[in-house]
Amino acid sequence: MEPELVAPTMEAIRRWSGVTLPNAAARHGLADMAGLIAELDKLRGTLVFEDEPSSFEAALQDCKEPAR
Amino acid sequence: MNAPVSPASLADLSMTEAADAFAAGEVKAEALVRACLARIDAHDRQVNAVIRLDRDAALAAAAAADAARAAGTRPGSLAGVPMMHKDMYYRAGKVSTCGSKIRRDHVPEVTATVLERLDAAGAIDMGTLNMAEFAQNPTGHNAHFGHCHNPWSLDYCTGGSSSGSGAGVAARFFYAALGSDTGGSIRLPATLCGVTGLKPTQTRVSRAGVMPLSFSADNVGPLVRTARDAARFLAVTAGHDPKDPTSARESVPDYEAALTGDIRGLRIAVCDTYFFDGADSPVTAAFEAAMAVLRARGAIVTRITAPVLPAVAAYTAIISRVEGAAIHANWMREHPGDYATHLSARLYGGYAIPGHYYVEALSRRGPLLREFVAQALTGYDLVATPTLRTRVPSLAETDIDADPENWSRFMAVSANTRPFNYLGLPTISIPCGFDDRGLPIGLQLAGRPFAEARVLQAADAFQRDTDWHRRVPAL
Repeated sequence: MEPELVAPTMEAIRRWSGVTLPNAAARHGLADMAGLIAELDKLRGTLVFEDEPSSFEAALQDCKEPAR
Repeated sequence: MNAPVSPASLADLSMTEAADAFAAGEVKAEALVRACLARIDAHDRQVNAVIRLDRDAALAAAAAADAARAAGTRPGSLAGVPMMHKDMYYRAGKVSTCGSKIRRDHVPEVTATVLERLDAAGAIDMGTLNMAEFAQNPTGHNAHFGHCHNPWSLDYCTGGSSSGSGAGVAARFFYAALGSDTGGSIRLPATLCGVTGLKPTQTRVSRAGVMPLSFSADNVGPLVRTARDAARFLAVTAGHDPKDPTSARESVPDYEAALTGDIRGLRIAVCDTYFFDGADSPVTAAFEAAMAVLRARGAIVTRITAPVLPAVAAYTAIISRVEGAAIHANWMREHPGDYATHLSARLYGGYAIPGHYYVEALSRRGPLLREFVAQALTGYDLVATPTLRTRVPSLAETDIDADPENWSRFMAVSANTRPFNYLGLPTISIPCGFDDRGLPIGLQLAGRPFAEARVLQAADAFQRDTDWHRRVPAL
């Protein structure tokens, strides 16, 4: 049984991106996203207001091996 | 080299052995090229690793290298060594297909910085290699140029996306190859084909002139025979490049100097969270045996947990899918039928992910890197995991084009490699055994940012006491 998210997601993609379903496997891939949505549900609230993408470069520098 | 090189063994040399033999005058570049061409001629019909073979140009380059050496010119660190590269490294004036129908005739106007650096070190470029279409699958399927086949057993996956790079190094078609790694595309073919593959720290190597997949997670690195090969290759290719403003300004150390074999006191964390979920028993057995080898050399191996990993895994799934969907949007609108079924299906899902989650995934990357380092690399030098949790899958059981029900098996292939792309950490995969079907198993070692020397040191120490990386598939 196909998850109910598939049909409305297809319509949203068509409307927002102008991309239409390329094949049956794509439908399967959309159904598989239910798992990802559940994972993201668990992470709600972890982003803080000041977080932003450039913090990654700073973290790479800060997390280098300490001098021995 | 301590002993003269016999012609029969030339193709079996490691990259550094071949380079050092050339530098010492023990072997000519022409002999190295001819040894590789003979292997390709004999076996590529089975393996299908090669897209374009520049036979005459390679022989001409070898003759020039031999003449320069005879004239007393000091050779570069990779002089005389035949290589081939994934067909997504642009060379001005040469077709770069990206493994696709859409770019089958694409002729770039620029040359990738990594190719220029390899050229400057004297490497001989023999042509281009098969790959997953637009570097977008972890298995090595390719609907346009034919699937690449695992040299250890032809019905099995090579791993992707750098399929020809892994299969060709394993089959002794050349000594080294560039791969690219956005979710495991260097480490997976290294594992599945039984060779060594290094994904450097994010930003460590220039991506100028390299086909993009996901600009936040793309990495450039080598597939080779040994950790020493990877060390020398990285030393040539790493370092800031003005043509790639995102490339790091970190100095490039002498990676080979770190390969002392001495890992006494090295602290290795084995992370029980996530990486062993659903692992096959031959994989866990080979992994535990590998830990015993490292312990015997003096490493201290400790089991840990890293509760941050499920969050890392969730965000990892977002970034490359959204970025890939964005850069392919025009082609997906105009001629989606020019993509393989599995690729258009995968890209399609990227348009469904809300933009705020994409920004969240990028914004949480720094904090989650800090959390992972606190949980898994504070008090420890390296994290060890299996590179692939399962035995090598067959081409048939991961073929989405044939059966969409194979979707979850296909996506699971990169479960253990993807998190290190999100975290940006340097990670190597080295062979550590074979399963009950005679296919390779890989050990993955990850270190702190820019700690490639530490990763290579441990991998090299392991390879001093094992011979998995020396084994040759019987084609």
